[in-house]
Amino acid sequence: MARQQQSEKCASHKPARMGRASGILLFLMLALSASVVFAQAPNGGAAPRSASDPQAADTKGDEGGSIMLRWTLSPDDSAGQVTGYEIFRAAKPDGPFQSVGFASRGSARFADGSTDDDSAYYYKIVTTGPGGSTETAVIGPARSTAEWFNSNRANVLVIGLLISGAVLYYIASARKGKKLFIRRIAGLEAVHDAIGRATEMGRPILYIPGIQDMDDVQTVAGVTILGYVARTIAEYDTKLEVPTSRSIVMSTARETIKAAFLSAGRPEKYSDDMVNYITDEQFGYVAAVDGIMVREKPATCFYMGAFFAEALIMAETGNSIGAIQIAGTAMPAQLPFFVAACDYTLIGEELFAASAYLSNEPRQLGSLKGQDVGKSIAMLAIAAGTALFTLNQILRVEWFASAGQWLKNLFIVN
Amino acid sequence: MWMEHPGWVLFGTWVAALFTLGIATFLYKDNPVYKFCEAVFVGISAGYWFVSYFWQTLLPKLGYPFYAGVKTMFVGPAEWGWLVLLIPGTLGVMMLLRLVPKAGWIARWPLAFIVGYTAGLRLITFLQSNAMTQLQNSVQPVVRYDASGQFLGWESFNILLVTVGTFAGLFYFFFSQEHKGVFGRVARVGTWFLMITFGAAFGYTVMGRMSLLIGRLDFLLADWLHLIR
Amino acid sequence: MAENPTEMKTGLFDRLMRIDRRVIFVFISVALIVPLFFNVSQRIQVSPEVQMLNDAMSKVPDGALVLYAMDYDPPSAPELQPMAVAAFKVALAKKFKMVIIGLWPQGPQQANMAFETATHDPLFKDVKLTYGVDYVNLGFQSGNEAVIQKMGSDIPTTFPRDYAGTPVDQLPLMKGIKNLGNFDFMVNISAGYPGTREWVQFGADRFGLKMVSGSTAVQTTEMSPYVGKQLLGLMGGMRGAAEFEQVSGYPGRAIKFMVGQSVAHVIVIVFIVIGNIAYFATRKKRGA
Repeated sequence: MARQQQSEKCASHKPARMGRASGILLFLMLALSASVVFAQAPNGGAAPRSASDPQAADTKGDEGGSIMLRWTLSPDDSAGQVTGYEIFRAAKPDGPFQSVGFASRGSARFADGSTDDDSAYYYKIVTTGPGGSTETAVIGPARSTAEWFNSNRANVLVIGLLISGAVLYYIASARKGKKLFIRRIAGLEAVHDAIGRATEMGRPILYIPGIQDMDDVQTVAGVTILGYVARTIAEYDTKLEVPTSRSIVMSTARETIKAAFLSAGRPEKYSDDMVNYITDEQFGYVAAVDGIMVREKPATCFYMGAFFAEALIMAETGNSIGAIQIAGTAMPAQLPFFVAACDYTLIGEELFAASAYLSNEPRQLGSLKGQDVGKSIAMLAIAAGTALFTLNQILRVEWFASAGQWLKNLFIVN
Repeated sequence: MWMEHPGWVLFGTWVAALFTLGIATFLYKDNPVYKFCEAVFVGISAGYWFVSYFWQTLLPKLGYPFYAGVKTMFVGPAEWGWLVLLIPGTLGVMMLLRLVPKAGWIARWPLAFIVGYTAGLRLITFLQSNAMTQLQNSVQPVVRYDASGQFLGWESFNILLVTVGTFAGLFYFFFSQEHKGVFGRVARVGTWFLMITFGAAFGYTVMGRMSLLIGRLDFLLADWLHLIR
Repeated sequence: MAENPTEMKTGLFDRLMRIDRRVIFVFISVALIVPLFFNVSQRIQVSPEVQMLNDAMSKVPDGALVLYAMDYDPPSAPELQPMAVAAFKVALAKKFKMVIIGLWPQGPQQANMAFETATHDPLFKDVKLTYGVDYVNLGFQSGNEAVIQKMGSDIPTTFPRDYAGTPVDQLPLMKGIKNLGNFDFMVNISAGYPGTREWVQFGADRFGLKMVSGSTAVQTTEMSPYVGKQLLGLMGGMRGAAEFEQVSGYPGRAIKFMVGQSVAHVIVIVFIVIGNIAYFATRKKRGA
């Protein structure tokens, strides 16, 4: 109550303060408008001088339908006499001209994205201001065309090829039987213990493969880890429950568990009832999962896949029933809840690493190693680039800055 | 429309309010009222999604254009563009074959199409937006001076923090090296940064959850009980 | 046992460690409900991200063509609806031509509700807008980021009809709109996937769309690395909404709700502090 009174008291001071604030604001606005008036005075409120040197040409590296216009800003642009530049277009040099867009003050380019390829267009750029407007000469004809290759983004291609090449190389190596090293992942060691605990307690294991569909790579990783968990469960004879939020995930999970039970030599223990579809609706799904948790009190809960807002609700409910919880997700926003409420959490890419590690599947192992190549490039670039720019700042040797900029340009996407 | 009739609106408000309270009883403990509300919610939402996909995706994307295309075959002028719809249509039917136990394997083909398409689409965008552009933004001097040559301590510290955090965070997710010795220490720094980020995110979420609760309370107190304006 | 003051203290900490969560629920509920009954407000400090957002929107010329992508549904409305309302008010004040779409099925409906709230503000009672000329709602389109990709080359085939089912070629505003390149600016209100991330990746980075975003608090930390070149401003959660209401000059529900929010935050912080003290005290005892 005291707190409430206090906030009311604060509020009662508010109007006075706000009044004062608005008074100051009014004064500032008046002062500002006065300065604007003074700034305009030299040209006496006349129309701004026109933009100059207009150019119109096909937008390079696009799929057509766009002409890029460039011009040199009006000399009055920075003096506040220009509101912007209106672009007019016509099919013939003598018109009729129609407005196709507006570029605000300070911008010297505009992409007219509504052209038909190979048709001729003529443009003029009208500099507008409070005192009137002036226009450039008509330019043209300009035609838009589509290009097959966007040379501006060649670096994306090169880096993409480099990483993809590394992935393919490592997949091939793994297929040839080469042992690919992956570091130890702490959370994984807990999986066995957690399953054992559920068996000892005679309570079920709940496995949530995220709430996204099979097109999400996290769901794929979640289902892969489910395969491993199911194989262990088949050996232990523990009850497994997998509620899913997507029908395709349900079918895939069923197949995965079936295969796992088969490989563990216990196909007769498998039942379709282990996996159920609940609903696509996020909170409907979480309400049902919470219900299952509270009623059946699983000893162990796994959350492996893509999660959204439901992560906290599930992990919190799981925590409240005293279950051992192991989570893994690459959704950065949901990781905090898992870290706080679960016993072990596979953070981000560790989920994929775990999936690769457990399945020992060449494709997954190779992808992981290939991505490590990408990360090495990134770490080297950050370290080298930062060092070069910092040395330039300290030693004032221009060469460092140029080298740093060259490195940075490799990653600039236009 | 009849749905806008005040009586219906009032009825809808009451239903929504009672269900809100029903779900909220879970805060005390699990009980039959909550179970009832949960079951209704799950049922309605599953039904809603089905109807929504049917009317907003299946019919406008496939059903109507297909029908219109076929119609041109009979009432001319004949158009052939609709034939392309046979591809997604067939893939869709293949997906449904999952329900037939013996033909279930066929469903893997459309699934492969979805996975392949999404992977291709996302590879480039993530490389471009999340890797290259972010990397470019991370490369900057960690020592800053202003125009007059004065050392900017706070700004430099901030940039240093971002750079070290990015580097150590990246290293934590480097799987080709066991986290031992120097590598272990760098990865440990990465973990700290991750945990601080998680803390910030957690704070945001607490705010988000409170906002949702305020939204519900406002509904109960204003729209339902008219206790506040 | 209770005679020893140290043990009495650890007993208290033990009890605090086992505090019934329902006690916390009661505290939070009271903190959130009571302010709703009083017309109190608090000073709202505007963060750089929201200031950037407001500056970016202010720089968009009056009458510009702006895309409003509403990618959320009712569960996130308490946080996001005030953002949408304020963003529409800015549009009304600056006479933007608005094209509304949604990558979430219920997004366009939320947009209509926000739009209606904005137009009912007495400030805009003289603003008369004509559907199809000043604004259109193209409705929902399934396909997630593929929709954005397709909008980059051809909007009329991506959205052949508007929300009400009218063919787009019958809407005067849509004449001359070919692809994303035609938009001067974009406002995205996002609750998850597909949302701001996809618009940044496809709309901003690929097609050069100038955009700002309002996102749920939960995903704000994920979106903030994009702020700068890729995202011209970001409002996160109800606080972001309140800041935007404040800085844009259109106070609304977010500002009203912020008092309860702040009081609840204080209570949460107090519980965290108490919980930590109790945790370390009992740990010491267990360790001893």
